Amino acid sequence: MSTYPAPGQLIPASAIPDIKAVPFGDSALMVSIASGTVEERQTGSRKLREILLEVRPHGLLDVVAGIDSVLVEFDCLAVSHGQLAQTIRLAAASRSFEGTGPSQTGKHFVIPIVINEAFAPDLRDVAEELGISKEAVLRHLEASELTINLLASAMAPMMGRVEFPGQVSRCKEPRTNVDPGSVMVAGTNAIIQPFPGPTGWKVIGRTPLTICDIREDPPTSFKPGDTVQFKVVPESEWKRLEGRFLRTDSYTTKEVH
Amino acid sequence: MPASERSVTIKIREAAWLATFQDLGREQSEALGVPCGGAADQHSASVANILVGNPRNATGIEIMGGRFSFTTARPLLISVTGAPADVTVNGSKVQMWEPVCVPAKGRVVIANAHGGMRNYLAISGTLVTEHFMGSAAPEARMGFPQQISVGQHLDLVTAYAGFEHPYLTQPLFRLPVPVPSFDHPVWSIDIVEGPHTDAAHGIRELLAAREYTVTAKSNHVGLRLDGPVVHPEGLGEIVSHGVPIGAFEIPHGDELIILGRYRTLTAGYPIVAFATKASLPMLGQARPGQRMRFRWVGQEEAVESQHESQRRLSLLESRVQSLFGAIDLPHHSRPVAAQEAA
Repeated sequence: MSTYPAPGQLIPASAIPDIKAVPFGDSALMVSIASGTVEERQTGSRKLREILLEVRPHGLLDVVAGIDSVLVEFDCLAVSHGQLAQTIRLAAASRSFEGTGPSQTGKHFVIPIVINEAFAPDLRDVAEELGISKEAVLRHLEASELTINLLASAMAPMMGRVEFPGQVSRCKEPRTNVDPGSVMVAGTNAIIQPFPGPTGWKVIGRTPLTICDIREDPPTSFKPGDTVQFKVVPESEWKRLEGRFLRTDSYTTKEVH
Repeated sequence: MPASERSVTIKIREAAWLATFQDLGREQSEALGVPCGGAADQHSASVANILVGNPRNATGIEIMGGRFSFTTARPLLISVTGAPADVTVNGSKVQMWEPVCVPAKGRVVIANAHGGMRNYLAISGTLVTEHFMGSAAPEARMGFPQQISVGQHLDLVTAYAGFEHPYLTQPLFRLPVPVPSFDHPVWSIDIVEGPHTDAAHGIRELLAAREYTVTAKSNHVGLRLDGPVVHPEGLGEIVSHGVPIGAFEIPHGDELIILGRYRTLTAGYPIVAFATKASLPMLGQARPGQRMRFRWVGQEEAVESQHESQRRLSLLESRVQSLFGAIDLPHHSRPVAAQEAA
């Protein structure tokens, strides 16, 4: 779904996104789409991030993706808040005008997950909160074609949208340590824990695959914009798959045992 | 390796509480979810490198607490910056914030740091170490700890071959070194307003008037401070978004968090202020028990301070370059001997 028209076609001014840019300290701007539905703002901010990484305005140092925003870090001796905000608006407007659309076709990953008491400590909670069975929670997860919206802490792929019948809340008390490979949900988003660490998301399964490895170059084979489908596999599959680096072809059911 | 360069082994004898390879951090990694990391006190790390003729972002060693010592069979040109500490070469006290000549068979000890958290050791040349996303900075969570331990041998490639002065063991250089003051018991940190300053009624006045103390719960992710806070009202849920280094967050409890260079990149707490870029190096030196006051400044003044600190670094850099050129010490901007010989 794109808000961008076909090449060569003029777009009404209203289709140029209304970009909000707020100073975040002397060397950063918080940039977001000021209007539209939640989905439009999320898609818009992802598009903005792509444009920024492609255009690389003068003074830009780095960008940090949020759920519906982009933090733009810059060299305050090279450019001011106002100048950079203006460059971002111009870049966004010209991209809309050219109708670039989604930049490239993403890759698709099938990620196997194993469910048991130890790997899915919050599955019962999530089922109760949504008012469905544990099996139904997993069916909804498997049926969802998820898009990686951003790489969160330690390159964790944050994905939406899980076709749950409602929103999943976060844990009241965040866990101090969750094992790598944990598949977690909050709201209608899903994320995979790449390294041990704390989280307030609800853990509903675990993949035997290694999703991030700093000895690989790049350390992950996925990027924002790629798509993911989870597949629940029997526990007996764990050994065969454990530690494999996640690639588009890491999991195949055709493999001869 | 050019003919003028040699490989030197540095033997680590004592490794402090924590010593790591360190540089100014990763560039363009945050878009991929990896924090920039790098020296908590970027000013001290930069000055240390400049003083030995290295590029500012060359790999050095960040040292925290206890004693750090090493020996070398060949001469080295080093510099130690950061928190006030005792530095000796073969038992003789030497100055911090200056280039220091270590003779062959030298032993260097850095100990008794006080008033701050971290020391930076730069050595003329290139320390050999692994890189992750273009930087030697640790990223422990992702399996890149970069810790230096007792007994470890570090490899250095350097064009420094010793420097003889007719009268003094250590030459007097008289360089314009911007040395931060660690003397005052209460530090003053400049801040600019944040997106939720107005929603937290009274926080402006509190931060301007009251004193805050760094607590022992602090780490490389952020400083935690004791002191009066007010919780913003009517904000609703804040969805995950990126946060810059130096953001002042108010979590659910009654404390203040100032985020450091290894912050989690997305967080949902209200932000009531940001430390100015120019005041981040001092925050990178704050220890548990450090008292601080805050001073609200406008964006223009914040940028002006940053401009001034960068101007001083550039001035130092150009003085070192001409000095080292005049006395034939190696400098990264003029890898002389090798090219002239070629």
